Amino acid sequence: MAEEECSLKVLLEEKDREIAALKCKLAQLEKSHAPALELHGKVTPLTPLRAKPALSNEDIMRYSRQLLLPELGVKGQLNLSKTSVLVVGCGGLGCPLAQYLAAAGIGRLGLLDYDEVELSNLHRQVLHGEENQGHAKALSAASAVRRLNSTVECIPYHLQLSPENALQLIQQYDIVADCSDNVPTRYLVNDACVLSGKPLVSASALRMEGQLTVYNYRGGPCYRCLYPLPPPPETVTNCSDGGVLGVVPGIMGCLQALEVLKIASGQGSSCGQQLVMFDGLGAKFRSIRLRPKQADCAVCGENPSVTRLVDYETFCGSAATDKCRKLNLLSRDQRITVKDYKSILDNSDPHLLLDVRPLVEVDICHLPFSLNIPLSNLEERKSEQIQLLQEKISQLKQQTAGDCRPPVFVICKLGNDSQKAVQVLEKMSGSEVDSITVKDISGGLMAWAQTVDPTFPQY
Amino acid sequence: MCVLCVVCVLYFAQSADLTGVRGEESVAVPTPISSQDLWTLLLRRHPRLSALQRRVVLAVRQQYVAIGDHLLTLEDGDEVAVVPPLSGG
Ligand SMILES: [Zn+2]
Repeated sequence: MAEEECSLKVLLEEKDREIAALKCKLAQLEKSHAPALELHGKVTPLTPLRAKPALSNEDIMRYSRQLLLPELGVKGQLNLSKTSVLVVGCGGLGCPLAQYLAAAGIGRLGLLDYDEVELSNLHRQVLHGEENQGHAKALSAASAVRRLNSTVECIPYHLQLSPENALQLIQQYDIVADCSDNVPTRYLVNDACVLSGKPLVSASALRMEGQLTVYNYRGGPCYRCLYPLPPPPETVTNCSDGGVLGVVPGIMGCLQALEVLKIASGQGSSCGQQLVMFDGLGAKFRSIRLRPKQADCAVCGENPSVTRLVDYETFCGSAATDKCRKLNLLSRDQRITVKDYKSILDNSDPHLLLDVRPLVEVDICHLPFSLNIPLSNLEERKSEQIQLLQEKISQLKQQTAGDCRPPVFVICKLGNDSQKAVQVLEKMSGSEVDSITVKDISGGLMAWAQTVDPTFPQY
Repeated sequence: MCVLCVVCVLYFAQSADLTGVRGEESVAVPTPISSQDLWTLLLRRHPRLSALQRRVVLAVRQQYVAIGDHLLTLEDGDEVAVVPPLSGG
């Protein structure tokens, strides 16, 4: 009798284990049936985000370490779950931001980016992987976020934010995070947030510096209150020409996530009238206390002149992208193609090749026979460098049997700075240095790598 | 009556490129001075800063000041910061 009881108990335990395993398997299957991520190419109306009545046991376990914080608690967590956030730009700022918002259990994440993943993004845009190269950034970010927390609703938008679609999109979200990489988009997002009354958590980063402010929040200023005019396009440096250390936007994106979470949970942001600056070199933070919004602001002031979205590329004089602009400063006879230059080399025609990039870029790659004098040194007429240039011109004159205007070709990365340098050198020719014939090599070293020497590195 | 004091000016982002000043610069400034005159004084030292006119935050003792008639009373060692926006991300 006791023996039969015992074996029944063993059998029952076995069956219980089987049932548990089946339940687990079913749950996993159900999860994998979550709707596939659909890439949105345009703005469509979203269903309203429903508030959870209570946290599930799984929620409690997942968020337990933050539920323990009196600053968040169950109420704050439930608030997060009913908040939607639009992330404008899935790059160096947007990646860490989206990652922490999803991990913390935000309700809905709109992930907007027009670009595809490139190898040169991976050092800072940490949601994307090597296998995502060439894929839409919005989709790549959404799939990474989904792996982290499948309960967060993710909407990837593969589109360029424009005056036509911005209001419709932004109106559907509770909080907007500006993680963009260019000036026109920053003014567009600002104006759209002011016009639709949404708080704008804005961060930016370049080289070793970062900035963070929450605009249009509880009577605080908007972006235009601080910067009524956009910077002249020629003074704007972006990450593709100025460089950026990946961890710097990482830090700023994390700070941005912190402020979004404080607003979404109901705690409130402390950056509404504060400009936080991060100096990566000194590892220092500094905050500037701002004033309330300006009565004379063009968009959030008392008599606004901007009452609907305008053309921001015209307003800023630049395109809504961080890709380099191509300048056209010279006439056709002042420029040669990289192929023309290749034949000059092949013919061993005597000439001087002047590389006007900064030293840090010359260290990355250069043509072995070039003379390096950075554009800034030419513009400032640094005497040692001008002397060096004159020596090279004299040597060249000897080779060219007294050619009274020996040829100097100027090269840089993409062919913008080299055009500026040609203009400077033409002014110097015949006065500050001997007379020369100066020409720009169109498209620079990147064109050289693309059309003449595929083994030459691109950056 | 007008007194001179020496303030410490910090240039951030693009303003560091335009002025060529990395780190801080000591500048003798009369006090009291209007924020407009303070800005003009910085422009005289670094004419290339004019590219940032109306496109920059000027802060004194880590507080935003609108560039205008607003009168500032400065003391030796006060921090003046020139902060243009960064747009990268
Ligand atoms: Zn404003």
